[in-house]
Amino acid sequence: MQLLQIQNITKQFSNHLALDDVSFKIDKGKIFGLLGPNGAGKTTLIRILTRITTPDKGEILFNGKPLTEKDLENIGYLPEERGLYKKMEVGEQAMYLAQLKGLSHQEALKRLKYWFRKFEIQGWWKRKVEELSKGMQQKVQFITTIIHDPELLILDEPFSGFDPINANLLKEEILFQKEKGTTIILSTHNMASVEEICDDIVLINKSKKILEGNITEVKNRFKKHRFVIEIEKNDRLSEIELPNNLSLISQTKKLHSETFDIQLLSNISSNELLTYFMEKGAIISFQELLPSMNDIFIEQVTHNEESRKQNAESIKS
Amino acid sequence: MNKVKLIIAREYLTRVKKKSFIIMTILAPLLFAGLMVAPVIIAKKTMESQKQMSVLVIDENDFFINKLEDNAQSVFTYRSGDVNEFKKELTTGKYDAILHIVKGNTSLRANLFYEKDPPTRFAAGLERQLDKQLFDKLLMDTFNIQPKQFEMYKQATQATITSIRIDESGNEKASNADVSKIVGMVFGLIIYFLIFFSAQQVLRGVLEEKTNRIIEVLISSVKPVQLMLGKIIGVAMVGITQLVLWIVLTLILIVGVQFIAPDLFTGNPEMMQIAMQTQMNVGVENLQPLQTIGTEQSLAQNSVFEQIQNYFNISFTALILCFLFYFILGYLIYASLFAAVGAAVDSETDSQQFVLPVTIPLLFAIIMFVPITEDPNGALALWLSMIPLTSPVVMLMRLPAGVPLYELLASMALCIVFFFFCVWLAARIYRIGILMYGKKTTWKDLAKWIRY
Repeated sequence: MQLLQIQNITKQFSNHLALDDVSFKIDKGKIFGLLGPNGAGKTTLIRILTRITTPDKGEILFNGKPLTEKDLENIGYLPEERGLYKKMEVGEQAMYLAQLKGLSHQEALKRLKYWFRKFEIQGWWKRKVEELSKGMQQKVQFITTIIHDPELLILDEPFSGFDPINANLLKEEILFQKEKGTTIILSTHNMASVEEICDDIVLINKSKKILEGNITEVKNRFKKHRFVIEIEKNDRLSEIELPNNLSLISQTKKLHSETFDIQLLSNISSNELLTYFMEKGAIISFQELLPSMNDIFIEQVTHNEESRKQNAESIKS
Repeated sequence: MNKVKLIIAREYLTRVKKKSFIIMTILAPLLFAGLMVAPVIIAKKTMESQKQMSVLVIDENDFFINKLEDNAQSVFTYRSGDVNEFKKELTTGKYDAILHIVKGNTSLRANLFYEKDPPTRFAAGLERQLDKQLFDKLLMDTFNIQPKQFEMYKQATQATITSIRIDESGNEKASNADVSKIVGMVFGLIIYFLIFFSAQQVLRGVLEEKTNRIIEVLISSVKPVQLMLGKIIGVAMVGITQLVLWIVLTLILIVGVQFIAPDLFTGNPEMMQIAMQTQMNVGVENLQPLQTIGTEQSLAQNSVFEQIQNYFNISFTALILCFLFYFILGYLIYASLFAAVGAAVDSETDSQQFVLPVTIPLLFAIIMFVPITEDPNGALALWLSMIPLTSPVVMLMRLPAGVPLYELLASMALCIVFFFFCVWLAARIYRIGILMYGKKTTWKDLAKWIRY
């Protein structure tokens, strides 16, 4: 079941094309990573989803129907460039933002009290925002983003400005929201957190979608047939000689074991690799090394750019 | 609609709760009341404290001996001898001043010696006395007419012109150009400052949201136009609240002062004139018509307001209503333009390049106040009171002198039409400008955003 269908979205600004025929779907209840280098068009896409700007072409379906103004009350948006009124009291401000999302005064007050208690910031209600540290302000900002219990949460670089402890608190909160059934779009450059919490991803570069899919599936798609084998220490290991279709990337000696990082070349299966090493000693672990999202990101973006250049050159010639 | 209400409430409450608002609201009426009451008190005190000057007259021509009349200002003693001999009597305090008339046949030369400064108009009073004596002598010696007889002739041949303005419904009203001029200028200036000050607040508010980066959070909940209108209306209500509080508090203060010192605002006309001159503090040569047109009794009995009212060609209520209309419309026009400017720039310093061209018409109206009030129905005044960017100020300058109803209505209608145009224009710039950072906005960009 899809919450959002992004269909052939194109957005042209006066001097550049921000989005070029971008389509993808976001499943309900999943954490969706929206990835891409700076200037790829992520913010433009998010602004279209939050109806801040309108697309030139294409359509957004929310729960199967075209996105309307009313749906904004079901969307919570934490922009990358975020802020609060500095001179306003925290509680007053949170109340204002909650009511702007369509909550009644009473309901807003009830929910804010719950969240302020949960995030242990009850004591700040009457304080002015400018008296708060950056991290504290981020907490308040996050609360105001989720206060109306939206079906869709859009978080743009949510972890920036948080210390590790609070970043962890935030991560747990995001996972908790997911468990409640909220769909979350996470736009970030922090690939570690993408790997940790995202279910699906889409990668945008230079206003075009270049990659999408489930995160495990994507990782498998780009696997390099590299394996790590750990073997109990013995005398024969130092004089090991690998067959031609295996290449040793690294060999690490530990106190009681040795680890081999092996790249499979042509015509050899992982089972053959395992059989070969079984003769060399007692195997402790055997594992395929999948590429990190970071690697995939860098590789895909550079690859994409190179092929573009080639295309451009071939068109010229 | 509900969201606009929320925005208005926030804009209103955060401003009204500010210390600066509360301080201004209390201080300004004290200042206004002070400006109204202080001159009256000062005038009264000067009149009371003015002691009789004892003047020693040394006339080397022996012409004025025993001819000067003692009055409230001065008592005269006559001696003859060397003036230097008597100078030390000033230090002992026997005399307050010595009037020394130098010997000579043709024109009269006189010196006034004193140690402590005499009251302001003392010397002028003396001059009048001397003039009168010389004139009487001339009458008698050359024309052989007794001064009393001359006075009678003069009275009998005096013509008086009373300016009476007839309005459209045929009502007659005594008119006074000087008072209209002054009141027109005061109202024009007040509305200028109010419009400018409030519109500036809108600009700051928009810039605050932009530099705080709260704007993107807000416009994912509400439409940019709602945000802009909410801010403009909220700030307008702050301005109106302040204005109403100022008027009410000032009136309470003045009534309070009148209650404590009931005789303060009533008194002799001369004192009122001093007070008026001090209050308006403009070089109006002669406010004499104030007394000659209005009956002196009513002048002595009525309050200052009622007296001023007598010289308008428009009722005080109508003037206040027009003031409110032009304040609100003028504010709305400038506030929406300023909101657009606030959205288009990144900092207050950058805003100057756009603010200046927008405010030049308003400044022009203020600079032109002399020709406008001199000739309130002339071409300049007429056109400036039709152009919506200047009309709020200029129409108020013209109003006290009387403006034909159709001109007033035309000007108001133009204001309303222009206001809708400005909001439309501002909204188009605003919705794009608020999300633009970093790049310095040019006029070309603005034009592009409007068409976009």
